[in-house]
Amino acid sequence: MSDAPPTSAAARTPPVRFSPRRVWTLAMATLTQLMRMKILPFLLLFCVLVVGLGFGFSVINPEQQLNQLKTVSLAALQVFSIVIGVVSTALLLPKDLEDRTLYTILSKPVPRFDYLLGKLLGVLMLIGAGLIIMDAVLSLILWTQQSMLLDAALSHLRLEKQDSPEVVAQVREIVARQGLTWNLHWAVWAIFLKASVVTTVALLLSCIASSTLFTIVITFCVTIIGHGEALIREFLFQPHLGSMAKRIATLALAAICPDLAQFDIVDSVVNGEVVPWAAVYDMTGIAVLYMTVYLFVTHLIFVEKEL
Amino acid sequence: MSATSAVSVNRLTKVFKGGLGKGAFRAVHDLSIEVKAGEVYGLIGPNGSGKSTTMKVILGLLKPTEGETSIFGVPSTEVASRHSVGFLPENPYFYKHLTGRETLHFYGSLCGMRGEKLKQRASEMLALTGLEDAAARRVGGYSKGMLQRLGLAQALIHEPQLLVLDEPTAGVDPSGSRIIRDLIIEFRSRGITVLVTSHLLEQMQEVCDRVGIMARGRMVREGRLEDLIAVENQTEMVLENASPALLAKIHELVKSEGGDTRLLRSGHPRTTLERLFLEATNETKKP
Repeated sequence: MSDAPPTSAAARTPPVRFSPRRVWTLAMATLTQLMRMKILPFLLLFCVLVVGLGFGFSVINPEQQLNQLKTVSLAALQVFSIVIGVVSTALLLPKDLEDRTLYTILSKPVPRFDYLLGKLLGVLMLIGAGLIIMDAVLSLILWTQQSMLLDAALSHLRLEKQDSPEVVAQVREIVARQGLTWNLHWAVWAIFLKASVVTTVALLLSCIASSTLFTIVITFCVTIIGHGEALIREFLFQPHLGSMAKRIATLALAAICPDLAQFDIVDSVVNGEVVPWAAVYDMTGIAVLYMTVYLFVTHLIFVEKEL
Repeated sequence: MSATSAVSVNRLTKVFKGGLGKGAFRAVHDLSIEVKAGEVYGLIGPNGSGKSTTMKVILGLLKPTEGETSIFGVPSTEVASRHSVGFLPENPYFYKHLTGRETLHFYGSLCGMRGEKLKQRASEMLALTGLEDAAARRVGGYSKGMLQRLGLAQALIHEPQLLVLDEPTAGVDPSGSRIIRDLIIEFRSRGITVLVTSHLLEQMQEVCDRVGIMARGRMVREGRLEDLIAVENQTEMVLENASPALLAKIHELVKSEGGDTRLLRSGHPRTTLERLFLEATNETKKP
């Protein structure tokens, strides 16, 4: 502690600029807070139960077994990532304000943008960590199941004396296509991108909303609308449909809500289709664009917010 | 604005917009304050008098409707003004899943501190506020007094030249309150400027060099504490081991003086309830 009061502090006070280190500090504190709230283990347990459920259906052939496992697991990951993103984000900012933690943070040399970005990054890190763990678990289960099913199918063919090289190759190809491929990881990446966009929307709404419940409800509404953007566009491109007021309202919805169908590659992956690199680039670019725009608007609102 | 002003509030007015069907509310009206570097300035007033709003404007948490505020010459609207200020809000809460030490590391990191310097500074602050034994405990288990002291430690972590304390002893027991007041006195001795609000006027009287009294958003009285509370036409003498004969002589002397001179009261001075409490509770702690 210095003993002499400053005399020309104004002249030597450096301006405060964006600092990745400060953002990282805020992100890590947010991640630690959420981890210690045991949100992640609880949701991972939920996902494991759902994956377990994937084995519970009656099975006709190996292809169907793997297909069901992927369908149920990836659906669980979608729900997990969106719920965790929306609920965590909706809770964090109002709680910081209510507990006055926000006062102690923003009364330090911390620009409001750094705070927002740190909070968002912390939640995305939590979602990312959860998805990486679940991707690893799912890959392991799928690989094990794939090997077991292939062995069982080949044994069955041998018993039936139908194990000609052509038939064996065909069975191998079917099981391999429905089993563990890079496409599964792209599906998880798409789920992460979709959750990231929805989380950024939740952050924007939590800056405007006066209650956590409002943020959660409206974000889920936006998520539902976001999945139906194609229908909205179809309505807008039909000039004879709806009144002018309805069309303006629909246009506003289409402009505000993100087109979440852009990230829906899960069905293709479940059906064993190959996801091209170009599609991955497009999805990533669209997600980054959405997040940048939503974060910019959030900053404009938060910087003017009276605390 | 003086070159050595720690805080300058110049004709500040703050109006909160009302919600639907509600009128606007003027929380602060044409307020001006100068807090000199190195002094302890007390801002007192009833609930709703505008003290906390003024503090928030000084800290850049609220924007002034009119007027301006600055910290060591840097406008409060600039984030850079927060380099030299530490803030303890009323009834502070921290991330309860962090330990006391982690909390200080978090706030230090936000101020750009890191490595060994940060660790050392956090340990110093824990020692200063008497929280060394609780450093590894999660903040969720801290008592109100401990939270308040942790709040002071985080406010001081980046070695600010100005401390802004909003009701620092609110809800804290007399022992905790005593510790906080002693710390404020120590900060002054180290050259740190303190701007403090409190409802507990006796406590403010003990630590403040100057006070400002606010009511309905305006400054109604301001000055050096000694000047404000001194009763100019009365004189106080406290005698120790005075015999009844000496007291009788003094009474006679006053009577013989005549004119307007009168002896208003005499008797044994009383200790304060707080001092009695502290003595009694310290006795029970002795083995």
